[in-house]
Order: sequence, then C-alpha cells, then structure tokens
Amino acid sequence: MKFLCVPCDSPMKLQTVGPPDGGSLSVVYSCPECGYEMAMLTNPYETQLVQSLGVRIGPAEASAKAGKCPFGAMLPAVEEPVQTGDPMPVRWTAAAEARLANIPSFVRPMAKTGIEKFARERGSAEVDEEILDAAREFFGM
Amino acid sequence: MKRYSDIVGDGGSRILEQVAEQRARIADGLAGVRHLVAVGSGKGGVGKSTLTLHLASALRARGLRIAILDADFNGPSQARMAGVQGAVFVPGSHKVALPRTANGIGVFSMGSVIPESEALDFESAAHGESHTWRATREFALLGEILGSFEWGELDLLMFDLPPGAERTVQYADFLGPFDDAQGRPFDVALGGPRVSFLLVTIPSEVARGVVARSVAALSKGPNRLLGYVENMSGYYCRDCNAIKPLFDSSGGADLAIPCLGTVPFDPELARRCDRGISLADLPETPVGRALDHVAQQLLNSLESPLEPPR
Repeated sequence: MKFLCVPCDSPMKLQTVGPPDGGSLSVVYSCPECGYEMAMLTNPYETQLVQSLGVRIGPAEASAKAGKCPFGAMLPAVEEPVQTGDPMPVRWTAAAEARLANIPSFVRPMAKTGIEKFARERGSAEVDEEILDAAREFFGM
Repeated sequence: MKRYSDIVGDGGSRILEQVAEQRARIADGLAGVRHLVAVGSGKGGVGKSTLTLHLASALRARGLRIAILDADFNGPSQARMAGVQGAVFVPGSHKVALPRTANGIGVFSMGSVIPESEALDFESAAHGESHTWRATREFALLGEILGSFEWGELDLLMFDLPPGAERTVQYADFLGPFDDAQGRPFDVALGGPRVSFLLVTIPSEVARGVVARSVAALSKGPNRLLGYVENMSGYYCRDCNAIKPLFDSSGGADLAIPCLGTVPFDPELARRCDRGISLADLPETPVGRALDHVAQQLLNSLESPLEPPR
C-alpha cells in the first residue's frame, strides 16, 4: 500500500507506527513536500493480515527491537516446560546464548531446556559452544 | 496524478521488502537441495505420511541424503512415526540443526514442538475470523522453517503435505519457482531445486475422484507431476504370506499421470509406525519390495528430462 499526497502528487513517507491497540495499528505518514500528515488506522483484519505475512510495518531497526521472529505468538510452543525437582542451574556463555538467540522463538524454549539437560547429564554447569557441538554430534545432526 | 507503479518503494512500510527477504532466506536454505518432492493427495487418510516416511527410508537405504518436512502443521504425524517426538533442537552457528532418525533422515515435524494433547494456535487481532488469515500465517511459518533449519546438502527434501486439493495447489504455488538471494530465477534453468509432486491414492472410486481433482488443479500451473502411488492396494497377510484384496479396485477416475507402483497395507507396518520403531526388516516382505520399487520409479522420474513448463 502506498499513499500519495494528491495536491503535491508526491509519495508520502512513513513517520511512526503506533503499537497495536485493540487490534488496530496507527501508522502516520507525511508528505515530504507540504508536510501534510495523515494516519492510517487499521481494522483488526488488516492488522492480522500483515502479521500473518510474518512481517512488521516500519523501519528495520524497529523490527529488530521488536524481535526478529514473528512467531513468538505461537501459544503452546513458547511455554517453558515445567521443571520438577531442583535441577542444577546451568549458565550460558555469551557465544552460546548468541547461537540460541539466532533460532526461531517457537523452538527456542525447547532447545534451551534440551541443551541444559544434556549439559547436566555430562556434569557441566555451563553451556558453551563446545557443549552445543557435542550435542550435535551426540544426536547425530 | 501518479499511479502505483510510478512510485518507487513503499513509503517506509517495508512489507514487500520483508517478504522478499523471506523468499531469499528460503532460497538460501534450500540451495543445497537437489530435488524437492511434495507428497500429496487431496484426499485425507490415504497414507501420505506413512508412504513418505517409508519411501524416505527406502531412498536412504540406497545411500541418498534425505530429509522430510512434515507440512501438516495441524495434524503432524512424522515426529511420532519417525521417532523424533522428543528431539532436542540444537542451535547451530546460524540456524537450527535438523533432528535425525536413527538411519539418518532429517525430520522437521510440529509433532516435535507441540505435544499431541495441544493444537497449533496463533495469537490473533481478528478474533473468531481465522478463516481470513490462518492459511497465510501457516505459509509464513513454513517459510520460517525452510529459512531457519539446516537443510544442508540433500538429494531429496520430501514434503508431507496436508490433505485438501486446494492446499496441494497452495503448496505448489508457495514452493514453485522463485528468485534466489541474488534475484535470479531459482528454477530448473539454474539447476536449482524445483518442486515435483507425487500423489497418493487408494483403490477406491471416491479417493481416485478426489485425487483426479488434485491432478487437474496442479496441471493448471507449471508443476511437475511425477505420478501417483496406489497405497493400500490389498493387504499383506503375514500368516499366509500373501496379498489379499482390501477394496474393489474395478473402477475409478483415470488420473492421467503415471502410476509409480502399488503398495499393500501391512498391519505390522501400521503398528510400528504408531510406536516410531524401526522398519529394518521391511525389505524382506512384499510391502518392502513394493516400496523399493516405488522408490526406484521415483528416482527414475526425477532423473528423466523435464518437460518445458507450460
């Protein structure tokens, strides 16, 4: 969708995107020639259609800040498995955490739980890249 | 007054740009895949998933590098059948390592992500109107999976499609030729993967009629139909070591594509699939030999010269 300032015959530029409110997005455009501003207020169907494409409206920086994966809303997948007992705490090195952050959010909780269990079973209180590579080899990946 | 095509860019919404980025990630993820084979039908309950897994096993036994993507997100069955329900997802350097079966077949199935007691669900701003957006969302999810798992170097990536003739065509459109990361057409002209379809039916007039509709729908686009497999073509009685009739196979629609083989139903096979246990002794049975024959026919079809797209 593009917006045209009719008096100036000039394409309008996106200025701000308001957070969803009651299923509606507020997207403000302005004309670079005359400065006229207008807001596009989406209805829930329009909002949902954009979300369903797996994209976010607006500049790349805003998308990065909001999280890369559009599937964070997959309800059952993001629930952390219930921990029973008191397992040994496992910390992640920065490099291992960066690899974890790189994968889709809908498998991230499962990946985290599985890798921490793998580390504990080997008596390690830390997940580093060596543990991740060992897990790959162990599971034949 | 300017028209849509007169305006360069989209004013900053970046929607088209992000969709193009998604396609580029998919093309990049599949760059090492020689053949994409979608196993579909149109009809449910004809054994698409079982046949997909067994063909993958038969091809793997020939030394080919195989992976399965269970594209039936709402009714995934590959995780259980392939024994990867409790798979651990290991983060690689940039993508997620693909869970593997004991015999080395890579498998992604939502059944490894979501317990069988739960259904795939998405947060929505349009409550009660999922018919307007759900398919779009699921295809975006498919794109995310294709772009974020390590498919690596494969001879075949097999898609286990959900039932529904319209869904089969939607997958054909989604997986069909598109541009790669450099904007080049990612199709047979470049030697890149192009999706081919293998359809599954059973010897019932109703099933053949539905599959005939899928053939008709797929034939309208630039899709490569390798042929069909007639599954449940009799059943294998282990006590008698004989194939006995299961359906009256006297009639049904002409599917107008090659038959790559017939596979009898084997209750023992079904039992093992439910438990995700090995099918190692299959080659010694009539069912194993039938599957091996279909696997060979499939390979022959894939290696045969492509007809130019219509």
